[in-house]
Amino acid sequence: MGLKKKFFQQALIKKYGNLIGLITLVIIVTILTRGTFFTQRNLVNVLRQVSVNGILAVGMTLVILIGGIDLSVGSVVALTGIIAAMSQSLGTIPAIILTLIAGAIIGGWNGFFVTKFKIPPFIITLGMMTIARGLCLVISKGQAISGLNDSFLDISESYISPPVAITAIVLGFLVLAFFTAMQKRKKRLNGQTSNSTIAGIMNILLIFAAAAFTIWLVSYRGLPMGALIFLVIAFAGMCVLRRTRFGRYVYAVGGNEEASRLSGINVKLVKFLVFTIMGVLAAVSGMVLAARLNAGVPTAGVMFELDAIASVVIGGTSLSGGYGSVGGSIIGAFIIGVLNNGMQLLHIPSFYQEIVKGIIIIGAVLMDRKKK
Amino acid sequence: MENEIILETKNIIKDFPGVRALDNVSFYLKEGEVLGLVGENGAGKSTLMKILSGAYPFPSYSGEIFWKGKKCEFSRPKDSEETGIAIIYQELNLIPKLTVAENIFLGREPTVGKTGIISWKRLFNQAKELLNLLNISIAPDENIENLSIGKQQMVEIAKALSYDARILILDEPTSALTDHEIESLFKMINSLRERGVSMVYISHKLDEIFEITDRVTVLRDGKTVGSKLTAELTRQELIAKMVGRDIKDMYPKQTVQINEAVLEVKDFFVNHPFLLGEKVVREVNFQARKGEVLGIYGLMGSGRSELLTAIFGSFPADSAGEVCIEGKRTDIRSTHQAIDYGLGLVTEDRKLFGLVLGMGVGENVTLSSLEKLSWYQIIRKQQEHEVIEKYTQSLKIKTPSSETTVGTLSGGNQQKVVIAKWLATDPKILLLDEPTRGVDVGAKVEIYQIINGLTKKGVAVVMVSSDLPEILGMSDRILVMHEGRMVKEFLKGESTQEKIMFYATGGNDGS
Ligand SMILES: Nc1ncnc2c1ncn2[C@@H]1O[C@H](COP(=O)(O)OP(=O)(O)OP(=O)(O)O)[C@@H](O)[C@H]1O
Ligand SMILES: [Mg+2]
Repeated sequence: MGLKKKFFQQALIKKYGNLIGLITLVIIVTILTRGTFFTQRNLVNVLRQVSVNGILAVGMTLVILIGGIDLSVGSVVALTGIIAAMSQSLGTIPAIILTLIAGAIIGGWNGFFVTKFKIPPFIITLGMMTIARGLCLVISKGQAISGLNDSFLDISESYISPPVAITAIVLGFLVLAFFTAMQKRKKRLNGQTSNSTIAGIMNILLIFAAAAFTIWLVSYRGLPMGALIFLVIAFAGMCVLRRTRFGRYVYAVGGNEEASRLSGINVKLVKFLVFTIMGVLAAVSGMVLAARLNAGVPTAGVMFELDAIASVVIGGTSLSGGYGSVGGSIIGAFIIGVLNNGMQLLHIPSFYQEIVKGIIIIGAVLMDRKKK
Repeated sequence: MENEIILETKNIIKDFPGVRALDNVSFYLKEGEVLGLVGENGAGKSTLMKILSGAYPFPSYSGEIFWKGKKCEFSRPKDSEETGIAIIYQELNLIPKLTVAENIFLGREPTVGKTGIISWKRLFNQAKELLNLLNISIAPDENIENLSIGKQQMVEIAKALSYDARILILDEPTSALTDHEIESLFKMINSLRERGVSMVYISHKLDEIFEITDRVTVLRDGKTVGSKLTAELTRQELIAKMVGRDIKDMYPKQTVQINEAVLEVKDFFVNHPFLLGEKVVREVNFQARKGEVLGIYGLMGSGRSELLTAIFGSFPADSAGEVCIEGKRTDIRSTHQAIDYGLGLVTEDRKLFGLVLGMGVGENVTLSSLEKLSWYQIIRKQQEHEVIEKYTQSLKIKTPSSETTVGTLSGGNQQKVVIAKWLATDPKILLLDEPTRGVDVGAKVEIYQIINGLTKKGVAVVMVSSDLPEILGMSDRILVMHEGRMVKEFLKGESTQEKIMFYATGGNDGS
């Protein structure tokens, strides 16, 4: 019996370890900033900052799950921001579509070289990182391109008004709770090993706590559009990985490429699609950033790839592929976002910020190793 | 022979999530003795050996280990190594790019004085001495990657003995060896026995157990169920001890009505993957019919696996000739197409090619049939669950749950998961490459019964195996391959082991 309890505790840490880490970090930062951190105003700000990296982290989760890596996303964020800025005259919607297509082409290019010529993702995306950065400077002549349409700025700057946002959140969480309960019931009916009741209660409590927190957060000014885009993409990412064939194949290819191929999976197509999706998400992220900066900036997005990779790794996804989740990466993105914001509030010089961030990343991964 | 007990365990208990792998295991090993350790898949053989080798360190299990009567606690592999226990795992742990000598003395290379610079001359000389002493004819300066698996294993053994091991544990050492290599391994075991080295020999091949061991200890469900001198043991008795019931018929072949041909292979050639102009399969013609088990026998390198993988569209080189399925000529270029045509291939190496080890049992079972179980991209969880249940039950896959990581199952159960994956695709033709390698006797019979079930449904089964009794016992027709060619066809009852071997080793009717 004692043994069972130990396993249970281990499983708990494994499942909620990242979340516990995030909450601890929030508490520490709140104390250090004497509460400034934990105000609605600042938290909404954190949410907006996290969105840009978070969108990338969702895509990067897929890339890392198949055992790949994409170093070009930072440059692609800048390039797509510029493309969006330069095509404003076409109208907002055409500009958005054009930018998404550009992102897909760049990601597809990476995927093409990885699958067709078997070039390691590290190399091809490293090349794309410099190519895209160079293109940024060439087409923008090194200047920030400003003067975006007001309707384009809404991508980041508008808010869903509090009443609408709260209603949506309440409905959303109710649906979530309903489905969780349904699934539990189904599992029990199927006689599958259902988690113990304690875990079930934990889950429900978590859902309620998250709901209460978000309602409190958005009651201030509403939900920022950029954050909404991020949350929708994150949710979609989770659904794709858990519920779809494609998602299953992503895990399989990352776990054992040869066995996947011999099981009839079109491994090349899966890889190609993953890189393409990453490109599209980089474009989305690039547009959110451009809207926030009110300009396409050729030097934007430097080192964003590292933040995205760090989020994924902190979130527990294995760099060798096959194991991990979008949920973990999202928590990872929040950890990095809270860290960045907290250090800004504390006026830690930016040079030191980088060092602290590096240490935290290494620490988080070490903790993760310990657990396994 | 001395009778002194060198190693003894008492009441070893080891738990994994959801399973008790070892339940009060006590066993002993005498000096200079070869002990056969047998039992079904998942009985706990490898787990017990991993405890003895320190791979599962001291406080992770309970119970006691005694070395020459003294209690020991191995908290890391080095402790056990220093005590004198060496283990040869089925997966070899050599560095392919380094030489034999470097591998043997890895981390202990002789140096020039105290400079830390390797003295190559002494390194190679020491290695040579050791290899000579063991009668192994391998050059110490050869790179590991140029050696066959059998030779590599010899190097592993030499390495183990260079640490002055008094106990050598061999966990399924012969599963990847040719007959010839097995012979040299046995010679080596015999000469080590003469020098007083004790050995634990784990295998599912009972012939080997009877040939090489002095005494046999049987594990079942994590418990020791008995130990007896090999000479006093009969095969029937041993099997009954292992599986806990009598198995009357090892090959419960049921012949059913054989109908028209579903698979026709005509003038089939397969190129060598690297050597230009070379062929690994030449001018092969055969048919497989509904309800039939077609056995294909050949030695290693005869092109048998290449033939199956090429038909399945997954061999990394071009092939020529015709493959017709249900009378229609096909042009299969990917495994996906092959599946659409109703083909399935249970590959030879389940860990490398058959399973995604990190995924769940259930996810592996449905991996090839997800298309049928989805609505566009969305997986229908309920249907998937039903399929998983159906096959885990009908194939009696022993697993704590369908979400258990497949890599933690025992070998036989892993093999059943691979088979379940293909049964779930509802194949018309199932190609089996060594379907019972590393599988225990009980599970073997179960796999044969699965084959019976398939033929009853009219599936054509093509089975490649290097297990002669299995080929003889289960096939309706036997084809023999030699150097890429089909050299002989036997109908049921026409063949004997000797006749098959004659053709498989290059004999022909004319001579
Ligand atoms: N790392 C692990 N995690 C969880 N369960 C494990 C692990 N290793 C082994 N087991 C379980 O412990 C039991 C004993 O496994 P073990 O590998 O010792 O069997 P075995 O006798 O060597 O079988 P085989 O003949 O198939 O090699 C099995 O039920 C197996 O599923
Ligand atoms: Mg084993």
